[in-house]
Amino acid sequence: MYGNLIDALPSVLSLGNLLAVVIGVVAGICVGALPGLSATMAISVLIPFTFGMDPLVALGMMAGIYNGAMYGGSIPAVLLRIPGTPAAVATSFDGYPMAQQGRGGYALQVAVVSSALGGIVSALVLMLLAPPLAKVTLLFGPTEIFWVAVFGMSAIVFLLGGDVLKGLISAAFGVFVSLVGADTITGAERYTFGHLELLDGINIVVLLVGLYALPPAIGLLEEVRDFDTENTGRLNTTSIWKAIPGMLKYWKTWVRSSIIGVFVGILPGAGGSMAAFLSYNEARRASKNPEEWGKGEPEGVAASETSNNADTAAALIPALTLGIPGTAVAAVMLGGLLIHGLQPGPMLFRDNPEIVFGFMWQFLFAAVLLIFLGGALATNSFAQVLRLPRPLLGAIIISLVFIGVYSINGRMFDVYLMLGFGLIGYFMDKLKFPLPPVVLGLILGGFAEQNLRLALRIGGGDWGILASSPTAKILIGMILLVVLMPLFSRLRRSRKANRVAG
Amino acid sequence: MFKMIRRTLVISAITLSAQAMATLSNPAFADYPDKPIEVIVGYSAGGGTDVLARVVGKYLEQALGDDASVVVKNQPGAGGQIGFTSVAAARADGHTLGTFNLPAAMALTYDRQAAYDVDSFDYLANVVHDPNTLVVSQNSPYHSLKALIQAAKEKPGSLGMALSALGGNDHFSALLLAAAADTEFNLIPFNGASMARTALLGGHVAAGTMALSQTIGFEDELRVLAVLDDERSSFAPEVPTAKEQGYDVEMGSYRGFVAPHGLPEDIRSRLEAAFRALADNKALHDELAAQGNTLDIVVGDDYRELAESQSDIAAQLWENHPWK
Repeated sequence: MYGNLIDALPSVLSLGNLLAVVIGVVAGICVGALPGLSATMAISVLIPFTFGMDPLVALGMMAGIYNGAMYGGSIPAVLLRIPGTPAAVATSFDGYPMAQQGRGGYALQVAVVSSALGGIVSALVLMLLAPPLAKVTLLFGPTEIFWVAVFGMSAIVFLLGGDVLKGLISAAFGVFVSLVGADTITGAERYTFGHLELLDGINIVVLLVGLYALPPAIGLLEEVRDFDTENTGRLNTTSIWKAIPGMLKYWKTWVRSSIIGVFVGILPGAGGSMAAFLSYNEARRASKNPEEWGKGEPEGVAASETSNNADTAAALIPALTLGIPGTAVAAVMLGGLLIHGLQPGPMLFRDNPEIVFGFMWQFLFAAVLLIFLGGALATNSFAQVLRLPRPLLGAIIISLVFIGVYSINGRMFDVYLMLGFGLIGYFMDKLKFPLPPVVLGLILGGFAEQNLRLALRIGGGDWGILASSPTAKILIGMILLVVLMPLFSRLRRSRKANRVAG
Repeated sequence: MFKMIRRTLVISAITLSAQAMATLSNPAFADYPDKPIEVIVGYSAGGGTDVLARVVGKYLEQALGDDASVVVKNQPGAGGQIGFTSVAAARADGHTLGTFNLPAAMALTYDRQAAYDVDSFDYLANVVHDPNTLVVSQNSPYHSLKALIQAAKEKPGSLGMALSALGGNDHFSALLLAAAADTEFNLIPFNGASMARTALLGGHVAAGTMALSQTIGFEDELRVLAVLDDERSSFAPEVPTAKEQGYDVEMGSYRGFVAPHGLPEDIRSRLEAAFRALADNKALHDELAAQGNTLDIVVGDDYRELAESQSDIAAQLWENHPWK
């Protein structure tokens, strides 16, 4: 098998195939950086054109777009607090405060280096460990996935922010949004009010753009005073090569977040945003100064960006070996493979090794290219966008968002829905309701509900099935550990304090 | 000698009349298609139906000639219903066609409100027939359909049967088989066929039903117990049909092309002729086979009958086993 890997290299290195990856990465960064446009969309647009292309050219572009967009999403997340993609929500937690402190350039450099590292790890895992990891995927049935979702929900606690009640209301709102649509088990329609457009549920991008992109864009319009454009145009960056040695202290976060990203990637149905939330939470938990997080801690940016790129190639492991598209992007990519007569499944590796392994190399190259293209070119040119007069910038963002949301399914309904969420988001912002629990509630709420009910259905209504497999038992143990540990340590601390006082 | 002359005469007569017909009928549709033909696909770009529409579209352009161009437009949502509805409501001028999935497109007219029915379309051609199968994992103790049914009968309603979704060919396969064997399965609708297959591979459910194309490439991991068709498939000639094993069940997925009802006669016959010409197109056949699909062209009235019979099956199942 590893012989095939080497055999596939020469054709990947041909000029056309390399150029495809370069173009893909640049396009991906741009698409990711524009709020409302996503990698899924860019690849769907590309699909019809790939008919006449050589498979490796088409796949190289897709690999480039996927990797580029995962980093590109962090650019507006850092500079404007508008995540360019759902996976960049956690990047904005610390990235935007850093930008406000005038360290936006450094935040982007941390983001690009972390993204590249996550992508490289992910590509290497895909190249070397795909078949064994596909077996791990098989361990996760509905029961086990339910527990992973519960584990993810334990992260909500820290996302609730200062006011726990408001945080819980936000989370409940997210879970409510996840309920909309046809019930997947019984087919009953929930909160659809007869609208066919709501039958499949609400697309996360519609919610995200409404909540996250519209209120700040309106904020830009409200700001009458013209900005000091002289200084904001430059992000006060040093060369990325000089900045890298200073980042080496994040190595633990890089390793941890890469592992989390790869793990979430191989889970059926979980995506980059879940990887980013989990890894942000774990990094914060491991940190010596968790109280600084959310106020401009570069390690938070590193955690989130490493794992959302570590998710990319790893998500293709179940996609290529089992045909399960873990993410929306992977689903579209499978279509790209299908067009070239490449049927996903175990046989794919045997029948078309030169293309499959070539595709893996392209993922690796795309990740490495991120440092050069993302670091030097993209970061500086996007910073220029900030020099635009604020009202103009706000107007541009709003029109981009309209185009992006319209093009998801090609209908105005989603645009109106997005405007509705924008209104909700605007007032949530003014009333200081935290937004992250909404996103988490939507992603994990739906995920947990569907898998819990599938598990119970399989077990014929017996709740015992939830603890029946060893994998499930390990996950339950981990959740208990995570929930109870802070309680114990607080108890011990208060006892110690009592003793000192007494 | 005399015979030969007669044959030559007959042949030239046929050729002549064909030419005459061509010249005669040309002006009637000289201006069709005068703009791109839009094919509405009710699913996202990159999905199975979308890929099929794009592949067939390419060959349809050649078959229509006259620099015809076919463009795919995706209108995903509500299990294809948004796309089907918009085809039914489009202008019947031959510039809007749509992909049509049976039995799903008709099934959803029973289990929910729909703005179309079986009479809302002109049926051009079915293109692909993908029979359903009954599958278990290679590690499963069941080696025949009989053994599986035996197990199901021991405790009706407990044997887990993985499906891609409710109200489609997978669901109907399970219902029809249960009826034929006089038992019940514990139906478990996953979010798509690949999720159902993965749960099967991981041993989380006992059995599953999925289209034959979904099992291709998984020969070492899955054991196909039966094909739910009247004859064995060329993709899996060693797998017996359910009928051979004593259960007369036929179900599968059909994918074809329809137009809004009321196409002008000349345009309709021109489109049908183009589809008919695809039937023995070797290149199309091979391209579809690479995706695990069997080319099965059924044109015009025959296709309409197919749609009506599938609609009746769905109506009957909905009446006997309403699923919501």
